[in-house]
Amino acid sequence: MKHNFDFIQNLLGRTVYIDDLPEPANLLHAAVFTSPSAHGSFAGLDLSAALALDPTVRVLTAADIPGQNQLGTAVLDEPMLAEGVWHFRGQVIALVLAGSRSLARRAAAAIKLVGAADRPAVTDPRVAFARGDLILKPRTQRWGDSAAAFALCHLVVSGRADSAGQEHVYLETQGAIALPDDSGGVRLMSGTQGPSGVQKIVARVLGLPMNLVEVETRRMGGAFGGKEDQASGWAALAALGAFATQRPVKIYLSRRDDMTSTGKRHPYSSDFRIGLDKDGKILAFEADYYQNSGAACDLSPAIIPRTLFHAAGAYHIPNVRVTGYLCRTNLVPFTAFRGFGGPQGFFVIEAALDKAAAALGLDPVELRRRNLLREGDVSHYGMPHEGVLATETFERCLARAGYPERRAAIQEYNRTNPASKRGLAVMPVCFGISFTKMMMNQGGALIHVYNDGSVGVSTGATEMGQGVSRKLALIVARALGVSQTAVRVESTRTTTVANTMPTAASTGADINGMAAQLAATEIRQRLLAFAAASLQLDPASLTLRDGQLFADPEPAAGPLLSFAALVAKAYEGRVDLSAHAFFATPGLHYDLATERGCPFAYHVYGCALLTVTVDTLRGRYQFDDAIMVHDTGVSIDPLVDLGQIEGAFAQGLGWAALEDLRFDDKGRLLADTLSTYKLPDGHFMPRLDVEMLQRPNPKAVANSKAVGEPPLMYGIAGWFAIADALRAARPGLELAYDLPMTCEKVLGLLTGDLVPAGPSGGEAGR
Amino acid sequence: MERSIRFRLNETLHEIRLSGERLALDWIRGEAGLKGTKEGCREGDCGACLVLLGGLTGPAGASAPEAGGGMEWYSATACTLALSDLDGRHVITIEGLAQAGLTPVMSAMLDEGASQCGFCSPGFVLALTGFLVSGRHIDPVAAMTAVEGNLCRCTGYGSIRRAAVRLALEFADLPDDLPGRLAELGRRGVLPPSLAALMLAAPPPAARPPSPSTPGAATAATAASAATVIGGGTDYFVRHPDPEPGLQTVLVDQTPAARRIESLQADGADWLELGAAVTTSQFFASAAVQALVPGIERFADEIASPPIRNRATLAGNIANASPIADLTAMLLALDACLVLVGPAGARRLLRLDQFFLAYKKIDLQPGEAIAAIRLPAEPVRFNFEKVARRARLDIASANSALAVRLDGEGRIRQAVCSAGGIAAVPLRLAEVEALLTDALPSVELFREAGRLAAAAGTPQDDVRGSSVYRRRLLERFMWAHAIRLWPQLKLEKALFS
Repeated sequence: MKHNFDFIQNLLGRTVYIDDLPEPANLLHAAVFTSPSAHGSFAGLDLSAALALDPTVRVLTAADIPGQNQLGTAVLDEPMLAEGVWHFRGQVIALVLAGSRSLARRAAAAIKLVGAADRPAVTDPRVAFARGDLILKPRTQRWGDSAAAFALCHLVVSGRADSAGQEHVYLETQGAIALPDDSGGVRLMSGTQGPSGVQKIVARVLGLPMNLVEVETRRMGGAFGGKEDQASGWAALAALGAFATQRPVKIYLSRRDDMTSTGKRHPYSSDFRIGLDKDGKILAFEADYYQNSGAACDLSPAIIPRTLFHAAGAYHIPNVRVTGYLCRTNLVPFTAFRGFGGPQGFFVIEAALDKAAAALGLDPVELRRRNLLREGDVSHYGMPHEGVLATETFERCLARAGYPERRAAIQEYNRTNPASKRGLAVMPVCFGISFTKMMMNQGGALIHVYNDGSVGVSTGATEMGQGVSRKLALIVARALGVSQTAVRVESTRTTTVANTMPTAASTGADINGMAAQLAATEIRQRLLAFAAASLQLDPASLTLRDGQLFADPEPAAGPLLSFAALVAKAYEGRVDLSAHAFFATPGLHYDLATERGCPFAYHVYGCALLTVTVDTLRGRYQFDDAIMVHDTGVSIDPLVDLGQIEGAFAQGLGWAALEDLRFDDKGRLLADTLSTYKLPDGHFMPRLDVEMLQRPNPKAVANSKAVGEPPLMYGIAGWFAIADALRAARPGLELAYDLPMTCEKVLGLLTGDLVPAGPSGGEAGR
Repeated sequence: MERSIRFRLNETLHEIRLSGERLALDWIRGEAGLKGTKEGCREGDCGACLVLLGGLTGPAGASAPEAGGGMEWYSATACTLALSDLDGRHVITIEGLAQAGLTPVMSAMLDEGASQCGFCSPGFVLALTGFLVSGRHIDPVAAMTAVEGNLCRCTGYGSIRRAAVRLALEFADLPDDLPGRLAELGRRGVLPPSLAALMLAAPPPAARPPSPSTPGAATAATAASAATVIGGGTDYFVRHPDPEPGLQTVLVDQTPAARRIESLQADGADWLELGAAVTTSQFFASAAVQALVPGIERFADEIASPPIRNRATLAGNIANASPIADLTAMLLALDACLVLVGPAGARRLLRLDQFFLAYKKIDLQPGEAIAAIRLPAEPVRFNFEKVARRARLDIASANSALAVRLDGEGRIRQAVCSAGGIAAVPLRLAEVEALLTDALPSVELFREAGRLAAAAGTPQDDVRGSSVYRRRLLERFMWAHAIRLWPQLKLEKALFS
């Protein structure tokens, strides 16, 4: 079949998400009562008005938790229900259960704090850093001797770069259903990227062994990292409700609750210093990244190293010193979001190059070209780059975009249009694939061939729209020589494949696909051995393809048996038709003490060129064209990969230019609904032109490459394309590297209403 | 107060009793059990709950007044739709389209990979199907405009655009008349043929009592009770996403009389009168409005989104009294008057700018309702300016409209200028108007207008912009008005030198 069954169901409106599941008759709905400010304390709760609303209303607090009140993974610093003190606005204080969702929400709104008092709140990571409030000790990567190298540079510029956070806006908000189980435990349907992670947290909260907690994830209506660790708390709340009432409990957040109470992409504030020789070759780079980690650790310690690993972007820099700080503030605990710290790192190096190009008077495109990674270059964490496609994707992208002519056309347009200016930016990408936390690079698969020849595949991968199910089905179908329609990819369950990792870090298809391929190959070999023995043929001469068994080298003789018939015989012959397999990414090693090693299986390369037209009268802009050349390896499903490339780019572009995640100085999120938080729509997006560069990648399943995150970086070109247009309107304009580049900033920069703040960054000539 | 409503959902008739107002979305997903209509934001911003709504353009039970059988179809978001507003209508959800399997709209999206997580997919399918049903021009640009009320976080819209373009080209030859078009769409499988046939038939007659002869009076009479008056619901339900149980509502009279756009002579002047139920879509599409305000239709896409425009009424936009309302800014510059009707039928005429007393405070007496909006009948040259963070479906950071009438020598005989987002109420910029009146357009004139506009009002800092930004926008809007209204003067060159 050409298409995945899932996608057909989506379009028919038959796909079932958490809130679409049939509701058990005695279901209770959950809502949450959350903290009203960024930091404060309370003595208790007044529940009288809430309880008076309806006899079904029940309110649970920290005191009702039978196990540990703790959601933290890396650091145990995040209570599920606040006890006596809250650390960010929207922190859950009480779980409210009632017979209907609207009743539960109204009851939650009727709860009052007793003895509440606000405490001072910190929202700025630099302030937290100055106060020494770091979640964990800083991490620093060094390569060469940057301090010495700066002395040899023709040009040194320094500056500051700030990037705002980003709301995931998965269209399906966080949700879970928990059912009490007669084993004494609970079963959950959870919208999570990591069912095993949910299982562990629920077991901890309820004080149960993990084998009494079963978690199933059928699919998610989008996740993007937001349901990696952050789904656990909502599932655990539902589980607590089910455990306490012995009734099924459903939680499904309103958009406002979701936006207020769940983590987002980390805001960063960074300082950089870059040194170049007179030809524009980068000799040295230093940066300090002040990550706004929020009020709890969450995944921040894994996100900071990805920023550091991508500090040099797609460029070779011989002398590097980069340091990341996890600054604790009174904002929602920030979390994984597609790119996972990478985009924040890329923005800083691109800002540094932008500033250097202006100071050198060199074409920013040319400056980037001169510094691209080459085969054999060693990264600042000591990993030699192999199979480098930086220059190839860069040159292909420029050629596809008609680069020098396009630049000339833009200059001509700008010369003749007083109130409209065009700009262009190019964005090369090199992104490392593997979980930065080494132990997470493992996965399992369980395949059953049923005795009618149909196939069921279970892995740790969760489907969130990225098409991992489609890829798994294709991988298994190829390995077994059957049609993709014969393969069903099961929901992800902790009872079928255990101890799985969240589907994240772009590795879903790589790790789970490889495990599935191993399991399918195991069954295939058993079937071929059985066929060879029963037909008295050489096993090496037998192949399975197109749902048939063939004896080579005489394919003209036609198939010997259908796959279904072979399976039926093997079943009668007492052959095991199920197989479990395990895959751990080979070749990874990393020394945390020296910050050296080989943390990635491989890198993904690519380049984007983006153009924009800025209406300098009103300070508005419209992106015109995005041309991308992306390294996909041999694509398992080009349509899925194209969708990942375009979708990631859109999210990156939204982050760079449009999505305005702002908190006021009291820690209140200013845009907490979709009427105030604006993400890209169809009109916002430019024309998209994507070329997939399909070079075989021996490091991943079926010679493919991971695709989820790397193309998000292309969106960063949006910021620099607008900056380019602004400089055409105001030559020599000084810019603050402050992302996103909203319409308000554009007009402010054009009129001079917005004066760049912060260190302007002196030049040191030699 | 219990009441009955009657409507058709896909191919099934329903008659239900309501004791209080609810969202159509909750009933469709709840009692009707149709889970293909998704809840993504519950405020009309994502389109995951988009449905198609059909109703009679003519009086219920009357014979078809025109080609099209008297039915009209449009898209709407079920999360801003009152359940009681389904009375006498026909609603189509994804389940109605999908009964016979994939339709050409779904297949185009499937082939282009336009569905990833799938949560937004039913909404896009309905928006594109609705476009084929009622789109005036079937072309690729219009097809993408039809999905401007739908958000997708997965695809980046590349695949959606390819599917929309494909459909627009494949169906470019659809007949213009509704019966012909529905028959064709049924034949080509875009609609199940049985559904296409029903879409042309009149829905069940509304259970609510027929409206009295005086437009607006019914609304006013019931408004005197404790009930909440709702127009399209596109704003009310954003502010009240979980209606209190037992909420009593009165829907604005939606009879043809309340949706009229007609010329009339009254109170000593010539007017174009718009009934209280005239929607935003209807306003921009009206030939009479376009004749009075040439070119106004090109601003339609800057206001909300198609499903919201299809429901949002002008009167609701006014009564909501948002200081940043786009339609209000336009109507202020068009020098609109309101016809207000009291419970006993007493009428008064009020200039629109006098209607706004303070933040969200309006000059509407208990029991009074907006019965009509009147525009002076003399054609004007008109421009509208709006900047929002996103160009489509976003609330403005600031807006402004300018309407001018010139004398024979090109002198500005009359100017009315509005501004939104810079005060607690929508403003008219009296100083700008005074400056422009009797002046010849020039760079100096509009530089000065910009200075005056930037000094007007008391703009605040909020998520949609700082006060400094808003003042600057107002200055630039004055320049933009000049550039757009007098393109032959090439003012942009002088203003940017």
